[in-house]
Amino acid sequence: MFDLALGDSFAWLRSFFEYVSELETSIQLRESQYVMPWVFVLHVISMCMFAGTILMMDLRLLGVGFMQTPFSQVQRRLFPWQMAAMLFSSLTGIALVYGNPMNYVTNIIFWVKMIAMAIAGLNALAFHFITEYTVIDWDTARIPPSGAKLAGALSVILWANVIVAGRLIPYALTWWRTY
Amino acid sequence: MEQIFIDIASWPVSRAINESSWIFAFVQALHLLSLGFLAGALLMVDLRLMGGGFSNQPTAVVARDARPWLIGSMIAMVLTGVPQFISLATKEYESPYFRWKMLMLLIALIFTFTIRRRVAYAPEGRFGGGIGKVVALVSIGLWTSVAINGRLIGFFS
Repeated sequence: MFDLALGDSFAWLRSFFEYVSELETSIQLRESQYVMPWVFVLHVISMCMFAGTILMMDLRLLGVGFMQTPFSQVQRRLFPWQMAAMLFSSLTGIALVYGNPMNYVTNIIFWVKMIAMAIAGLNALAFHFITEYTVIDWDTARIPPSGAKLAGALSVILWANVIVAGRLIPYALTWWRTY
Repeated sequence: MEQIFIDIASWPVSRAINESSWIFAFVQALHLLSLGFLAGALLMVDLRLMGGGFSNQPTAVVARDARPWLIGSMIAMVLTGVPQFISLATKEYESPYFRWKMLMLLIALIFTFTIRRRVAYAPEGRFGGGIGKVVALVSIGLWTSVAINGRLIGFFS
């Protein structure tokens, strides 16, 4: 239905993924019958830790959850877990792509996931440098300011997109014929 | 017993889900998204039970705030889990991981709504910090094993 033409501007990306796919360790990972499924399992577990701690903070930002705890306390408590989970899910995610680069390079859903992750990162930075700067004014407010709500809503939408797209990546191979 | 699973898999709705190229995929994706919320609602309380931050808040306050999200995400898990089960009932019947998942799920649910609930809602200081830590680790361990077996159903069966 859709032929995804990456075009010449992405040729370098394709050759990079091709180069990785020919590395000895990439081939070994791809051919291992048991390692890959367990990397998937670890990726899901780290996702639970990451999405769980991010989404709960977002609910607090939206003013719909954990309102009896000041925002700064929720944030401080969850931050180290969010960072550890981000590291853990990045490492397992990189291992998945490393073992099977050609499954991903022309996979539109994979790139949707990557772009959503990048925007979610920018959203978190923007919140940190703009809205969180004034946290002392709204830390215990019954209704968080619109900047906080916006950051929370964008975060939920973007990370939901990342999770859903992540699960749909293997289906892209059957839904669209990619070259 | 096996016949029940064969019957379920042959329901028109089961076959419709199974034969659609996208319904099953999106149900799976929403199951995973619900899992993110469930993990969060569980972790908020388990991390508090393990000690450290939130120390200005009694565990019971955090548990009460987490409750609607815990129950809501559990309902979402069931609503997105049942369609997957009925469409693959005969395959699930043979999968050891499905059986493990259901067993661990049963234990996790019982633990969550009895022991964990009691400890989380107890007045502060009623149970020592050691008990809280053990309950939190058991909770995380039980729910992690549910998730692991769930993921493995799709790989080896």
